[in-house]
Amino acid sequence: MADAEPNGIADITGAVRQGLIPAFLYNDAQVHELERTRLFGRSWNFLAHESEIAQPDDYVVRNIGDDSFLVTRDSDGQIHVMFNMCVHRGMQVCRAERGSARTFRCPYHAWTYKNDGQLAGLPFHADAYGGEAGFIKEGQALLRAPSVAIRNGMIFASLDPDAPDFETWLGDYAFYLDFYTGQSEAGMEFRGPQRWRVEANWKIGAENFMGDSYHTPHTHASVVDIELFGEPKPYKRKEGVLWHAGPGGGTTYKLPPGSDFGSGLAYVGYPDEMIDRMAATLSPAQRALVDEPGFMPSASTLFPNLSFVHNWPQTDAEGRITPFISVRLWQPVGPGETEVYSWFCVAADAPEDYKAASYKAYLMCFGSSGMFEQDDVENWVSITTMARGSMARNLLLNNRMGLTLDGEPIVDQFEGFGGPGTAYQGFGEHNQRHWFSMWADLVSQPAPARQPMAFGMGEQPA
Amino acid sequence: MSSGQSQAPLPYTDERHQAAAQFLTEEAHLLDTSDFEAWLGLMDRRIRYRMPVRVTAVKAADEVDVQTMHHFDEDWYSLRKRVQRFQTDYAWTEDPQSRIRHHVSNVRTFEGSDDELIVESAVLLYRSRGDRTAPSLLSAGRTDVLIPTEEGLRLRQRDIEIDESVLRTQNLAIFL
Repeated sequence: MADAEPNGIADITGAVRQGLIPAFLYNDAQVHELERTRLFGRSWNFLAHESEIAQPDDYVVRNIGDDSFLVTRDSDGQIHVMFNMCVHRGMQVCRAERGSARTFRCPYHAWTYKNDGQLAGLPFHADAYGGEAGFIKEGQALLRAPSVAIRNGMIFASLDPDAPDFETWLGDYAFYLDFYTGQSEAGMEFRGPQRWRVEANWKIGAENFMGDSYHTPHTHASVVDIELFGEPKPYKRKEGVLWHAGPGGGTTYKLPPGSDFGSGLAYVGYPDEMIDRMAATLSPAQRALVDEPGFMPSASTLFPNLSFVHNWPQTDAEGRITPFISVRLWQPVGPGETEVYSWFCVAADAPEDYKAASYKAYLMCFGSSGMFEQDDVENWVSITTMARGSMARNLLLNNRMGLTLDGEPIVDQFEGFGGPGTAYQGFGEHNQRHWFSMWADLVSQPAPARQPMAFGMGEQPA
Repeated sequence: MSSGQSQAPLPYTDERHQAAAQFLTEEAHLLDTSDFEAWLGLMDRRIRYRMPVRVTAVKAADEVDVQTMHHFDEDWYSLRKRVQRFQTDYAWTEDPQSRIRHHVSNVRTFEGSDDELIVESAVLLYRSRGDRTAPSLLSAGRTDVLIPTEEGLRLRQRDIEIDESVLRTQNLAIFL
């Protein structure tokens, strides 16, 4: 299946590269299968943040597609990402989603693994297998995630043993990632996640956070109306710059004229202590993004399905403005279903008062009960429902905003934007097209070849 | 949170229990009829309204909910914003409105300090949206602190124990 060229894939990728999205891509079993095997079989996928497993022996269980992984910090503090399947008969070794454990014992036959994955206990090894003569226990371990990388405490894994080097792949996106997860030398603290399932295709959230500044004034009109967040007014939103760099992209808001790094961060509610921390961790070039002409990162997506959001609502009746950061994963469950993982993220050494206000800002705006997110999901469920039928196969959705019919940008690239990559001011679907070009690259390549490993039979392949 | 009260509940014949049970029924009626302004009127200004995220943990672990992450952690300001949002013309997720019903049961009332009542209840929220998606159900336990005022009982605190680790509903544009 994975290697056969599926019917129509060349037509699909051809269309999306022209900025035309076959509407059925948002709810189609064959497309889902291609994404499962080809896209998520190769991509770098976010699993967890180190702060979620802060102490030795802490663990969380996370998924990449259908695959369950144990993400542990072993007793020596080392981080491991292991396939959560007992190598004996295939039981899920750890069935809790978080906790602290030095060992994991499979409930089926009591095979026991240390939290670094090493097989430590095999009942009746001598009686049942004849010891090492029948099953070589020495050196056996849970299957490791083929590739693992950590950046800003964020743990990523790829199912592809030949995945591109993470930092090389991340490229210029790293510049922007630091605004969300590099705010302090003490690192970030991830809280949560909230998890909930929505009857929406996973791509919609990823694309939306990547660059859809156009939806904000209308979809989120209610939060402006109640004076929770004043920025998403149409005239303000179109002053923002949309950028894409490396495997990601995002949206920004333009800061008031005359802003510099400090006053720009103060405008969105960062207290002096936080501004000092960010001044220390961000490079001069990164600080220049916030300096005149002044842009503040808002939503962003790192391909394929990891998104960030940074907004600054009013968090009390006295008018305090407080920024927050949320990190979220759009985990596909099926062609028309997504599990959302949504974390709150804050500098680990931020003042407690700031942490509390920022947490409040997050809960009011995003996550399962967030007043922004409520209306987003309503739209995405509707798109997914509509995409299921026959007529959606006759419709190519227009993803060409910002281009003439001849394919020329309607405005020149924005000069003087402080960050790397490609930047346009105003509304446009440049970033969504960039996302879909990466999508097309992966779904048109065969999935990586798998090399099955036999356990207990001798040396494992490196 | 689910440990419950150490004392015995008030008998069903006790007027305080009857008042608390009636309060919860009337509150559910206000929510089911979208009378959010009147619902907000039942809240004490010092209201704490919380619903922590629950996790799947091994039985021996103490942690069944994540006290550092909630689905709701509301005060008067944020509850009022949520109500105001429903009153705008742009709260798309509830336009058209869901058909909702709060089924409240298992009410147990306990004496608190200073005339407060501690009230445990179960709530099952049925929510049906549109005509294409399946309805969703949310089941939760609640522990409330009710205080008597001249206008009647008011909700001072609500701790909601949601019975899912992964919510099967598109959002929490609802109150429990």
